Amino acid sequence: MIAQLRLEFLKLIRSRSFLLSFIALTAFVALMLWGFYSYAERKAGQEVTQQFKYTYESKSYFNGLTFALYSVMFSFSLLIPIFVAMTAGAQIAGERQAGTLRMICVRPISRVSLLLSKFLVVAFYTYLLVAFFIGLNLLVGLCFVGWGDLQLYPGALNLVDEPGKLLRDEALWRFVYASLSGTWALLVIAAIAMLFSVLCESPAVATVATLALYLVFHIIGRVEVFEHLRPYFFTTDMDFWRDVFKPEIPWQSFQHYGSICGAYVFGILLVTIAIFDRKDITS
Amino acid sequence: MWAKILLTALCLLMIWGAVRFDPSRPRSLLASKASDGPHLRLITWNIGYAELEDDSRAHTSDLHGVAETILSNDPDAVALQELTGPEQLRVLLGYLQGRYRGAVALPGNSDRVDAVLVKDRDARFENLPADGKYAIAAAFHLRPQSPAVVLVSAHADAFSATRRRTFTGEMIDWTRGRLRGSIVLIGGDFNFELDAKDESHFYTDNVKNDSEAYSYVLKYFRDLGRDAGYTAVNDRRIDYVFGPPETVFLHRAEVLRSAGAGKMDHWPLLVEVAL
Repeated sequence: MIAQLRLEFLKLIRSRSFLLSFIALTAFVALMLWGFYSYAERKAGQEVTQQFKYTYESKSYFNGLTFALYSVMFSFSLLIPIFVAMTAGAQIAGERQAGTLRMICVRPISRVSLLLSKFLVVAFYTYLLVAFFIGLNLLVGLCFVGWGDLQLYPGALNLVDEPGKLLRDEALWRFVYASLSGTWALLVIAAIAMLFSVLCESPAVATVATLALYLVFHIIGRVEVFEHLRPYFFTTDMDFWRDVFKPEIPWQSFQHYGSICGAYVFGILLVTIAIFDRKDITS
Repeated sequence: MWAKILLTALCLLMIWGAVRFDPSRPRSLLASKASDGPHLRLITWNIGYAELEDDSRAHTSDLHGVAETILSNDPDAVALQELTGPEQLRVLLGYLQGRYRGAVALPGNSDRVDAVLVKDRDARFENLPADGKYAIAAAFHLRPQSPAVVLVSAHADAFSATRRRTFTGEMIDWTRGRLRGSIVLIGGDFNFELDAKDESHFYTDNVKNDSEAYSYVLKYFRDLGRDAGYTAVNDRRIDYVFGPPETVFLHRAEVLRSAGAGKMDHWPLLVEVAL
């Protein structure tokens, strides 16, 4: 199993999509920084100072932590899932397309171990991606925007319903928590992509099917007409990862939705293993 | 086989966790307690119409229904918004059978005025300038020995978040001067759009301004109607009663959705606190 893990990891880091995902995330951070700067440029100066009289009484609202928070929040729903789905979707279907799946399956390693080792590598990749993205945002925020406390206001991000503040060190810890909770939430997408990877012949189809399913639920969940259906979407449960940024983490809710995501992950993996175990590999 | 058993166990463990941990976080009425001092019941109500109508201010023909709602709920004080002027107040006080006294704010740069009604015969009324228009405050006593209560009736701009922010800031600055020695409550239609459906709205000035204005209010006051739900059509919670964070105990916050007449687009928000 360890040897298999090492092999899968080597395959992953040698793939082009691995490098591409990190480059794309870096480009996104650069874009966010540009947006942040141009926004601040438009709003800065006397006008802002006057407006802030009634509210922040703190000119350091826009700091590196705020930048990192917004960047992470915006990218988590739509950008990072693409790379997770792409990598997980290629795991089995990619081997099939390359013609190596049959060969791997005749080796003295069980199909279950093969699939689990692939999933573990995808999980590690997901963590790496999230941690890299958060770390990069914090670094860019520190270097280009500045440091300070993380102030949270109602309305923006729908995160809190009354003003709150996280002190700098505490906020940094929350970003560390977010790398874990975010990874856990994204594993649902990874598990779905693995399932499609087993079911589909091509990695592209597996990736598109995963993203289509995710985006459909994600979009429908935001349409008011379907508000009553929202609690039944896995995308709603995935949102739990953001709770770590609340001034007081709602642990009960956090554990509830975290458990639901876990049930999705392990349940889908079970189904995937059951299908893969019985699948007749002809290519 | 072991892997399948492990995955099944983990899946079951997660399902157990989902059942075990309750996601609902019922927000109890903050700082409420079973027995306490005299109760103060307030209503805030924008009795105007939706912007789709020719005249979106209050219609005199609806005032009888407004009076019935007030009489049936028997509040100690009422904050009303979007009256056309003193004449409508006079008609309303007539329907209220002389049980309330009231005053309307100066019009300022607006074509509609706020009003405040109180039961106390000795109530004093004061205009409160903010952003070129006026809110109106009534200072009264619930009982002769109880502390003075100041209720402000306010209406922030419906179309400009910047103006809402300026209005709110100036009004709160005014009330801060009254916080010592009296219990200040603010009732009104602030038009804050805080429930941003689209998260990226952070970068629009409207949500930013409203969020910041609301935050400024909460520096000194508590949002007493927070758990009562939406107060206007399209599920908007834009009518608020703000009260001091510590000196009053919230007992009830309810939107009276059965109330209303004509084409009003707001429901009255009733808040009951113990002093």
